[in-house]
Amino acid sequence: MNDITKNIKTVMIVFLVFFIGVISYLTYFEMIVGPQIVANGGNKRVWVQRNDVLRGTIYDRDMRALTKSIKVSSDVQKREYTYGPLFAHALGYLDVKYGITGLERKYDDQLISSNIQDTITNFIKYKGKLPEKVGNSVITTLDYQVQKKAYDALGSNRGAVVVLNPKTGEILAMVSKPSFDPNSLEEDWASINSNKGKPLINRATAGLYPPGSTFKVITASSAIENISGIMERTFQDNGKIVFNQNESLSNYNGEVLGNITFKQAFVHSSNVAFGTLGMELGNSKLKDMAEKYNFNKDTPSDGVTIENSRFPSYNFYEKGNIAQSAIGQSEVLATPMEMALAASTIANDGVMMRPYLVSQVVKSSGETVKTIGSESIRQVISTSTAATLKSFMRAVVTEGTGTGAAIPGIQVCGKTGTADHQDADMGSTPHAWFIGFAPYENPQVAVAVIVEEGGQGGGVAARIAAQVMQAALSK
Amino acid sequence: MKADKDEKRLLRYTYLLCIVCFLNLTILKQPLDAGALIMAAVTCVLIGYSYFILRRYYPDGDKHIFLFASVLSVIGIVMIYRLDMAASIKQVIWFAISVTGFILTVVILPDLKRFNRLKYVYLVGAIIFMGMATVIGTEINGSKNWVVMGSIHFQPSEFGKLFFVAYLAATLKDYNNDFRKLIQPAVVVMVCLGFMVLQKDLGSALIFFGISVTMLYMATSKVKYVLACAGLFAAGSFVSYQIFDHVRLRFMIWQNPWPYANNQSYQVVQSMYSIASGGLTGTGLGLGHPEYVPVNTSDFIFSAICEELGILTGFAIIILYFLLFYRCMRAAFYVEDDFSRLLAVGFSSMIACQAIVIIGGVMNMIPLTGITMPLVSYGGSSMLITFLALGIIQKISEEGR
Repeated sequence: MNDITKNIKTVMIVFLVFFIGVISYLTYFEMIVGPQIVANGGNKRVWVQRNDVLRGTIYDRDMRALTKSIKVSSDVQKREYTYGPLFAHALGYLDVKYGITGLERKYDDQLISSNIQDTITNFIKYKGKLPEKVGNSVITTLDYQVQKKAYDALGSNRGAVVVLNPKTGEILAMVSKPSFDPNSLEEDWASINSNKGKPLINRATAGLYPPGSTFKVITASSAIENISGIMERTFQDNGKIVFNQNESLSNYNGEVLGNITFKQAFVHSSNVAFGTLGMELGNSKLKDMAEKYNFNKDTPSDGVTIENSRFPSYNFYEKGNIAQSAIGQSEVLATPMEMALAASTIANDGVMMRPYLVSQVVKSSGETVKTIGSESIRQVISTSTAATLKSFMRAVVTEGTGTGAAIPGIQVCGKTGTADHQDADMGSTPHAWFIGFAPYENPQVAVAVIVEEGGQGGGVAARIAAQVMQAALSK
Repeated sequence: MKADKDEKRLLRYTYLLCIVCFLNLTILKQPLDAGALIMAAVTCVLIGYSYFILRRYYPDGDKHIFLFASVLSVIGIVMIYRLDMAASIKQVIWFAISVTGFILTVVILPDLKRFNRLKYVYLVGAIIFMGMATVIGTEINGSKNWVVMGSIHFQPSEFGKLFFVAYLAATLKDYNNDFRKLIQPAVVVMVCLGFMVLQKDLGSALIFFGISVTMLYMATSKVKYVLACAGLFAAGSFVSYQIFDHVRLRFMIWQNPWPYANNQSYQVVQSMYSIASGGLTGTGLGLGHPEYVPVNTSDFIFSAICEELGILTGFAIIILYFLLFYRCMRAAFYVEDDFSRLLAVGFSSMIACQAIVIIGGVMNMIPLTGITMPLVSYGGSSMLITFLALGIIQKISEEGR
């Protein structure tokens, strides 16, 4: 053992490296891993913090309380949802066992934050006996009447309704069916999970459906902005485009529309004309326009999480797919929220507004903590393009496929969609879509309705849309 | 003397740490908790008196070893008091016993050179203690490494460690570049590791491996042996992975603990939440929720400390372990006798390995294996063994001067 000095040094260095490794990992853990896991639902500390403060109330736009928190014991609170399944997807739920979702999750910080200044003032005021800490309350943009109307109108259908104010982006209603009762998760959990209709999914923002002919508003946007003289064009619609022996594209029910203008093609929803236009525009121009409408992109929003809608990329020789994508089929997928935004963009002269669910956060004393205002996302199409599309959509309701959405005394605009789908566990009846807005002159409300396996869009979906818009406009 | 002054300053800071922490614990409760102050007083007196004896009668030894060990013990006692008051009182009693053991080791033990001939006594002792739990062990917290005799619970492998290191030191000191001299210790190490795997005590297996490799390198100066050992260890791990479910389970949890957060990986996930919730400076003593972490006074005490006292304290503990390791290795550096030197290296690496394995484990940096954190964790046998080992090093450090 002659190399003692050397050996001891080596051993010390090796151990030093290990110790430094442990310190470095601890730093890494605290900086990178830590922040991700602290807020995790499994961390009981967050629940302790939640229980420390009586959770704030969520109101609708008319200050109607949608939730109520009750202190059961010193460290247990119960959250009650006044209208049960009606607002289940918009508000989400809060449950120690099943976690936290929806708006409850998005605004968790605010609902459990009580102002330190208030706490101190109260401490002096009540001479050391601390009153209960109450979290901030949240005033949403939701409208009870509209929500109720949409919920009832959907009835026992599976589907979703999104109602927006096109000028501001306020979400007036957001319904997804089937729903569930957030008050009785414990008792219902097994049946909720075994339900084939998947009640926990918020179809309004996370349901991805082929948009069908409602997508023609986007194809039309691209055609108007890219093809000169489009308004004067006529299309020969003989009911079918044949690409090759396997692939072809037909009109709904094999209708033959004959010699038609661009406007007539839109109003009567000609697949032949729009398939032809799609091939003429090509995938990149269609995709550019779809992406301006937020396909393939995160949609800025507040209070909701919106799944990205999808528009595919195709090679120039995939004619069939390109034509299909122009009529909202093949691999095009959109959420009801996305299609409501598309309708509201056209209603709002081509400017897309950021959808938001919360207008104000207020303290328990009533003082305002913060106000959330409207923001525009971008000018999607020019004002003149929007004006053209508005007149087209008006004609859809007066003389085209969407007459079912007409409301006496109100000029309703819209577009129907009848979307074929390939869901294995569903039948072959297409999904019914309707997107629209009203009134024509000064739009106050924009809507998207989807009824799963609802058949033709001009039927059930249009009727629901009419009822919902009427409820929103009657205020 | 300057060194003397430094030691005294360190001692005063140890008192200060102890008093401040216990004062904090006192005012946490309504009405004020006087018991915490008594704990502080007892701990301070114990440390002060032992230091006095060491300095008075054995001025040649390295008193830093005792001081660093005391700081770590104080942190442990404070944290255990906050988590489980009754356990903390027991821990102070064990601390008193261990410190007495430490002093007695220094006082009674004659020159260590004379012990180098008892190779076979160590061998038998190591095998008996290592194997004991395999035969009459009880499974606690998923490891079958406990022996229960009446009301006494203890981990025989803790005592086995001492014999294990002594045996290796006694054998390896005779190494004279003859490969055949290494066959016997190699077999013994493998048998011991085998026992540990059978007892599902993978943490101890890892520590024994670390000790053996360090001592082997010290005795032979040959990197190729170290590499060969690493190869054998890898092969052994692979075989145990194939054979034993519990090894596979540990590995699976380590790779991704999240899918099993409510069952198999509950412990480590709770530990990770705990460390992550503390942040840089922690929530403050008594203000966090380390009660959600299972076995928080022993295996997971590091998580509890990080949550309430912050990762800064975590850093401090890791650095303290290294300083302790450094002072112990320093003793090995100055001593002349080969047996003593190997003994010091073995015990130093034992403490260091144990600290690294458990700290790495609770962060899920390496697969978690349930072992105690030396000096800090609650546990009588662990603390006693560590102080006995430190006592032997203390003795060696005196010989070196």
